[in-house]
Amino acid sequence: MTLPKQDTDALAAIVGAEHVRVEPGELAPYARDATPLFHAEPDAVVFPATTGEVAEVLKLATERGIPVTPRGAGTNLCAATVAERGGIVLVLTRLNRILEISREELLARVEPGVTTARLADAAGAEGLLYAPDPGSRTASTVGGNVATCAGGLRGLKYGVTRNYVLGLTAVLPTGEVVRTGGRLWKDVAGYDLTRLLTGSEGTLAVITEVTVALLPTPAGSGTGVAYFGSLADACRAVTAVISAGLVPATLEFLDQKCVAAVEEFAALGLRTDAGALLLFGDDGTDDVVAGNLARMAEVCTSAGALEVTLAEDVARSEALLAARRCSLPALSRLNSLTILEDATVPRPKLAEMVDRIDAIAARHELMIATFGHAGDGNLHPTCVLDPDDAGAVDRAHKAFAEIFAAAVELGGTITGEHGVGAAKLPYLADRIGPEQVALLRRIKSAFDPAHILNPGKLGS
Amino acid sequence: MTEPAERGIFGKDLLDRCISCGFCLPACPTYELTGDEASSPRGRITLMRALETGRLDEDDPTLAEESSFCLGCRSCETVCPAGVEYGTLLEQWRDHQWRGRRRPWIARLLMAVVSRTWLLRLQGLVRRHARTRKREDGPALMLGCVERGLYPRVSRAARALRPELTAPAAQGCCGALHAHNGDSAKGAELARELGERLPGRIVTTAGGCAAHLSTHLGRDRVKEVGEYLAEAGHRALGEVRAGDRRARVALQDSCHLRNGMGVTRQPRDLIRAVADYVELPGAGDCCGAAGTYAMLRPKDSRAVLDPKLDAIEQSGVDYVVAVNPGCLRQLQQGLRARRSTVRALHLVELLREAQNARE
Ligand SMILES: Cc1cc2nc3c(=O)[nH]c(=O)nc-3n(C[C@H](O)[C@H](O)[C@H](O)COP(=O)(O)OP(=O)(O)OC[C@H]3O[C@@H](n4cnc5c(N)ncnc54)[C@H](O)[C@@H]3O)c2cc1C
Ligand code: SF4
Ligand code: SF4
Repeated sequence: MTLPKQDTDALAAIVGAEHVRVEPGELAPYARDATPLFHAEPDAVVFPATTGEVAEVLKLATERGIPVTPRGAGTNLCAATVAERGGIVLVLTRLNRILEISREELLARVEPGVTTARLADAAGAEGLLYAPDPGSRTASTVGGNVATCAGGLRGLKYGVTRNYVLGLTAVLPTGEVVRTGGRLWKDVAGYDLTRLLTGSEGTLAVITEVTVALLPTPAGSGTGVAYFGSLADACRAVTAVISAGLVPATLEFLDQKCVAAVEEFAALGLRTDAGALLLFGDDGTDDVVAGNLARMAEVCTSAGALEVTLAEDVARSEALLAARRCSLPALSRLNSLTILEDATVPRPKLAEMVDRIDAIAARHELMIATFGHAGDGNLHPTCVLDPDDAGAVDRAHKAFAEIFAAAVELGGTITGEHGVGAAKLPYLADRIGPEQVALLRRIKSAFDPAHILNPGKLGS
Repeated sequence: MTEPAERGIFGKDLLDRCISCGFCLPACPTYELTGDEASSPRGRITLMRALETGRLDEDDPTLAEESSFCLGCRSCETVCPAGVEYGTLLEQWRDHQWRGRRRPWIARLLMAVVSRTWLLRLQGLVRRHARTRKREDGPALMLGCVERGLYPRVSRAARALRPELTAPAAQGCCGALHAHNGDSAKGAELARELGERLPGRIVTTAGGCAAHLSTHLGRDRVKEVGEYLAEAGHRALGEVRAGDRRARVALQDSCHLRNGMGVTRQPRDLIRAVADYVELPGAGDCCGAAGTYAMLRPKDSRAVLDPKLDAIEQSGVDYVVAVNPGCLRQLQQGLRARRSTVRALHLVELLREAQNARE
């Protein structure tokens, strides 16, 4: 399908001709996101610059029945921005202003195309902390984070994006503009549409402004590393840390393969002979941090750690966290097709889950490396394989289906933070049941009667 | 599904390396300008894939545009955890894209000039760059083609700082210009020829030449001058002053030196030894000179340069130091156009000034 000229002319009249792209070479880069194996070219890429332009584009799309896929930085890992049915990819990177940072109200108001790191830096410059901290923060946008309800490296103590969204400006596919929530910490007037839109993956409305809560920047922070004989040992240490009443800001694990890959890129001097590494960190006043890190080191040691070291300074801490953030791309050094998945289980089940993943990988003769946000029970088993080996790709799909089933069986879920997108849609009913799937569809229809917004994803 | 490589334009494993994670987006100056995936490293690699598999036509205008819009600064390479060799990919892309008449005429003209050794020598006679008889011992100072014409002072300063450097006039060009403008075969040939003319260690005053030469002659045969001075242990120098105080000096990294060879510390240390060093925000970001880029795409080049000039002016420095003649020219022109009081110098010129202050 290509768009008729009258449609592209109408789009050009809204956003300006140079912000509508329809040539094959212009469309090709928008055929995929960070998800491997998914590929679909849109018919047009449109770059609006204001809420008003977004509204007019959506209204036109609803009238003409053109699918619209909103897109931030395209770093999602569930094919959420792949234009499954063609139509328009609506890129929001031109809406990139930081509108306000208020110390008095502890909040920031930004447009959705601002990157997470830019928001965090701007808040930091005012002595404030934007807590959500996805691994992709330097590239991903706040809009994308809200739409996927991104988690990250500070999830255990601070929670995920949802906990920080106070209000949204969103455009419905019909062109109506709604403002949900606002600047208030307490507000129960009406259904909580802010929460509904947070994590709605661009299927209900296009977010054009976000108000987020900030916190005062903690006085200090610190990080430590504990090495274990196996990933299961590290998982048991996680349970031990939590049972000891500790709530560290960061509790991340990587298995040996991940550590080796990360070490090759970042050259931090990490031990690559141990079976697993647990990265723990906390923030607060210096003595609280020192005390908590010491206790965590103790707990890890009695849980069987081979070695525990504390980062000597802030720079070293930052380097460790940065290294953890790049686990996924670093893993691709092992082979060129890396399929990352995202399952969550209750924390006490972590060790059992990693054992199951190992068994599934062995049975299908696959190399699956695992890392993740251990403190949240959130694992990223990542299959590394040769793209030309069709048999292996096939086995990987089967293995992941089993991994999701195992997660659900252990009381967990098929995605902890990356979202459903096109990639996980086939597994959704297993997790939430047919009644909820039907309800999701009715909600979708209420927002998007013509079903133009990100079709083939949630609510389809 | 990844498609089978069909055309053999790119080394197969090179393209496969990229997993489209997007980590490189914030490092890319052209993506910063446009916010358009097509002008990001990841988007360009997707375009290369489409070219490789025949999904896009050879003459596709976006392919042409993006292969030339890219600065070739390689800052995407240093942040890529997957280890994608973007610089090599770009050379292969331009080899294909800019064959024959599709290469911009300015690039064609320059390439023709610099591959003629006699023309370079003639230029040298007129411009009085450093020149010594050919000697077998001692490292050789490479006389960059641009620098010979524009900045003969630089090679003279390098020799004054380090008299053991020999500077034979008959040495030709390193071929970086060719490699970056779609003729890597010629680029490699010129590098090898230069390697034969200058056996042993080669010291260059141009970051771009250093990176290109070291890929062809090996990292240990090639030293950028700052690296060489730091290693050889620079002699005690005086200090560079601005009026009645020590001068405040900033550095602009050369992309290829920083991203291609990983040299960042040495020039800073050298500046610190003779002046008050000021780190500019974004010192490692491309200045927009990018070899022939400033000539081929002046508007984009200036758009990349502008925020850097703002940062330089706000920093209150007296001098900004470059380690590559292209960057030096870019900074000088930009500062002059703004009537700025900040002066741009090559690293060895600054050190030479410090040496003079002591003598
Ligand atoms: C290396 C790497 C590390 C990662 N680490 C993490 C992590 O730690 N935690 C985590 O949660 N995720 C992580 N991710 C996944 C991804 O970065 C997040 O999902 C991120 O929130 C996506 O942001 P984006 O701007 O790239 O959005 P996109 O990928 O462009 O879009 C994501 C979804 O949001 C929708 N959308 C985007 N903008 C809007 C808008 N303005 N209005 C409505 N809908 C919109 C899109 O339609 C799509 O459904 C990681 C990804 C990579 C590649
Ligand atoms: S960072 Fe590397 S792997 Fe990731 S998109 Fe960029 S080039 Fe590809
Ligand atoms: S070389 Fe520079 S301009 Fe080109 S894609 Fe990489 S970062 Fe961008």
